[in-house]
Amino acid sequence: MASLWRLGVLCGAQGGRALFVRIPVVRPAQVSAFLQDQPAPGWCRTQHIHLSPNHYSGSKAASLHWTGERVVSVLLLGLIPAAYLNPGSAMDYSLAAALTLHSHWGLGQVVTDYVQGDALQKAVKAGVLALSALTFAGLCYFNYHDVGICKAVAMLWKL
Amino acid sequence: MAALLLRNVGRHCLRAHLSPRLCIRNWSLPMAMSICHRGTGMALSAGVSLFGLSALLIPGNFESHLELVKSLCLGPSLIYTAKFALVFPLMYHTWNGIRHLVWDLGKGLKIPQLYQSGVAVLVLTVLTSAGLAAM
Repeated sequence: MASLWRLGVLCGAQGGRALFVRIPVVRPAQVSAFLQDQPAPGWCRTQHIHLSPNHYSGSKAASLHWTGERVVSVLLLGLIPAAYLNPGSAMDYSLAAALTLHSHWGLGQVVTDYVQGDALQKAVKAGVLALSALTFAGLCYFNYHDVGICKAVAMLWKL
Repeated sequence: MAALLLRNVGRHCLRAHLSPRLCIRNWSLPMAMSICHRGTGMALSAGVSLFGLSALLIPGNFESHLELVKSLCLGPSLIYTAKFALVFPLMYHTWNGIRHLVWDLGKGLKIPQLYQSGVAVLVLTVLTSAGLAAM
């Protein structure tokens, strides 16, 4: 899937009309629709992936998901030094939430890339959801009943 | 000779329904780093999940588990190695993650820049891992 994205990027600026959208995760069905709709005049050795308004399939869910993933990544990036400088209960719960969400979405991408077939993919995704939910529950339990993530790391490192 | 060998390897890969890309002779740095980003991500995920699940399932609090490890009287070099092993995948994933976010902004996508940023990530990973493990 990442290779599709790079194809579009490498093909550079061709035609001002093309609305250039980078979608790291594109399902096979959507890709074939895009490629059929756009006859590329002046073929470069790679193909465009276009998204012009009249061919837009309607749902913004994938785009929002992509943006959400980046937002959580940046959030997590900021939380790590913040947790070091300002440990505490609020930081523990924020870390737990950001960590599990980031890993949940990351595992989701892995499943999307490697698990073929609709039914199997749904089943594995359900499994990932269960795992993420249990992980979050476990981390919250740890934060509440035990020392909490920040303190735990500090204690572990003092070993 | 080498070509013959590679042809057989390739045939084996395809027969075993493995991705032929695994049998490519010329791995590139960006390709290897991308796989490592995924690998470290999955490993870190597994670690976090293991930690969360063990908090729910294993009796005893964190302090008691730490006491258990302390009672093993492990040498300082072993402890340093263990800390390094823990923090290395985290640092790699973090720095390469920043590299990914820069790409998402549309910057640094030229091929030479890919290699430069890749090397920078690797150097930063080693340095920060060594530094954090020493803390």
